[in-house]
Amino acid sequence: MHSKNSLLTKVPSLGLPALLLATLAFFAILMPGRFLSASTFESMAFQMPELGLLTLAMFLPFVSAGFNLAIIVTANLCSLLMAWMWVTFIPVDAGIALQLVWLVVALASGFVVATVIGTGIGAMVAYAGVHPTLTTLGVMTLIKGIGIAVTGGRPIRGMPPVIQYIGNGTVLGVPMPLIVFLLAAAFTALLLGKTQLGKNVYMAGSNINATYYSGVDTHKVLIAIYIYSSLMCVVAGLVMTARFNSANMGYGDSYLLLTVLAIIMGGADPNGGFGKVWGAVLALLVLQVISTGLNLYGVSPHISLAMWGIVLIFTLAIKYCNRRWYMPWAQRRQAINT
Amino acid sequence: MRKLCIAAVLTAILFAGQTFAGEKFRMAVVVKIGGIPWFNSMEEGINREAPKQNVDAWQIGPTSADPALQVRAIEDLIAQKVDVIGVVPNDLQVLEPVLKRARDAGIKVIVHEGPEQINKDWDFELVSVQYYGEEHIKRFAELIGKKGKYAVFVGSLTVPLHNAWADVAIEYQKKHYPEMELVADRFGVSESMDDTMRTANELLAKYPDLKGILTFGSQGPIGAGRAVMQRGKADDVVVFGAFSAGQGERLVKQGAIKGGFTWSPLVAGEVFIRIGRMLMDGTPIEDGMTIDGMGTVTVDKENRVILGQELESLDIDNIDRLVEMGL
Repeated sequence: MHSKNSLLTKVPSLGLPALLLATLAFFAILMPGRFLSASTFESMAFQMPELGLLTLAMFLPFVSAGFNLAIIVTANLCSLLMAWMWVTFIPVDAGIALQLVWLVVALASGFVVATVIGTGIGAMVAYAGVHPTLTTLGVMTLIKGIGIAVTGGRPIRGMPPVIQYIGNGTVLGVPMPLIVFLLAAAFTALLLGKTQLGKNVYMAGSNINATYYSGVDTHKVLIAIYIYSSLMCVVAGLVMTARFNSANMGYGDSYLLLTVLAIIMGGADPNGGFGKVWGAVLALLVLQVISTGLNLYGVSPHISLAMWGIVLIFTLAIKYCNRRWYMPWAQRRQAINT
Repeated sequence: MRKLCIAAVLTAILFAGQTFAGEKFRMAVVVKIGGIPWFNSMEEGINREAPKQNVDAWQIGPTSADPALQVRAIEDLIAQKVDVIGVVPNDLQVLEPVLKRARDAGIKVIVHEGPEQINKDWDFELVSVQYYGEEHIKRFAELIGKKGKYAVFVGSLTVPLHNAWADVAIEYQKKHYPEMELVADRFGVSESMDDTMRTANELLAKYPDLKGILTFGSQGPIGAGRAVMQRGKADDVVVFGAFSAGQGERLVKQGAIKGGFTWSPLVAGEVFIRIGRMLMDGTPIEDGMTIDGMGTVTVDKENRVILGQELESLDIDNIDRLVEMGL
């Protein structure tokens, strides 16, 4: 039993690193000297975190067999609030200390709003039993409407230097957004892998009724999932606002379904219950290498998008072949050996 | 002998071309969105002009009009160290930080349809508000015989550009054509064809001697053109204004729309390359100089904006060409 389990987890783990190396090698050979350069990696390191943080926001709902269509609008609403606070309350000549204080205060406010949104979604899903896709579709439309009504569709612009640094600065050559993303990814991985809540999330994703009858308060788990998802949106919103030096409804709209693409490519089960954070992170890396590589090569972004689709289908095909032929074969061999 | 002559001429042209264009450089133009007729046409202009100026140029059209995608595209362009980045911004603010990084990396930045962008070398506009408004009222006045009643439609009373054009046009009429009379305040209808048709019908009923309708906003000429068609007044009432050539082609040929002016994305694509070449060669950009495709330009050195005066006429003689361009 133990060895079967380790087979189950180890087989797909080779696929993504191999795919990453293969794409890197492909572009390195295609564009000798041009692709493997520091500036290419810097460009990728600046681009990946927005989509990455939003992917983390989608991750927990996805693993719990749910969905959160409201991630982009939550991120935008919270960044509008934060941006408004920074622009309104920080004087132009404010020192770094004052800016940092307001950074924390605004983030805290963002977290409060996100908690309210997350609780709302979670409660609808848990107590009313509405399907998460429908719930979050409603919440998405609602928040988008409110956001546009309040701002009139206009951006809030001109962030203070500390905020801009988060989006465009580097520490020892590593872009700040990447640092934020890696911290958030590590935190999410720990939460899912090492805590009781994490185990409950996976269990709820596998079979929520069985989980409920084994004594877990699945309502609380569901609410926690959507709160965490919304909190992650605040971090994504912070990075987007910092990178764009402004906040508005509608920024990053095109990322919504790409997050799902990354998660599925990363090996998560669309039916819930399975999926590792590092898988999604590797998948994001592969997608970024493909997009930047094709961009450097001068290929139309529409082709890049199509390539992403092809890679996803390819990954799913491999997964299917694994389950259909390799697994039974490995199990039979195991049985013979023992 | 004739062959020799042709060969000589061809060689001369070839050499002339080579001496004319300077050292090769790389330039990419990031547009709002890929795959729509307007920007396909711009891409054609870029591809057509680039070899003439000895530029390795290409257009990048993001898969949706999300400003975040333009940032990503520009980031990759910084990574591959192109010499010039051209951009038609979706959102000026979002692009400021990344364009600043591009310029810090020594890349020249040319903006189109974004005069207020801060981090740029130059912005160019094929037509200024003043010129666009004046050209419309001048041609319109000629068509109605410089006297009589007319009405003005704009997309909506809150669209700044349309109203700025209308301001210029009405101002010009008052000064130069005193015998023309604006029957009412401008109507904010021409973003909807139904509203335009209804308003045009009401006006035609109320003022039987109405001579023309001048409209800004893409549905205006279409709606007003249909209204005059239905009432059989295509010969008496002049409908004039900018619209999308493909949509209005039939009405123009039936005589219901007399014309209008627009600017050509194809020319804008060519101008991108020409200005890129000027920047790389260090050609100074001066007020009153002539840039191919922009005519004699007005240069605002403080805001770094180049204004041209080159329009495409949407009249019956030119419309087929514009439709062919896919506009």
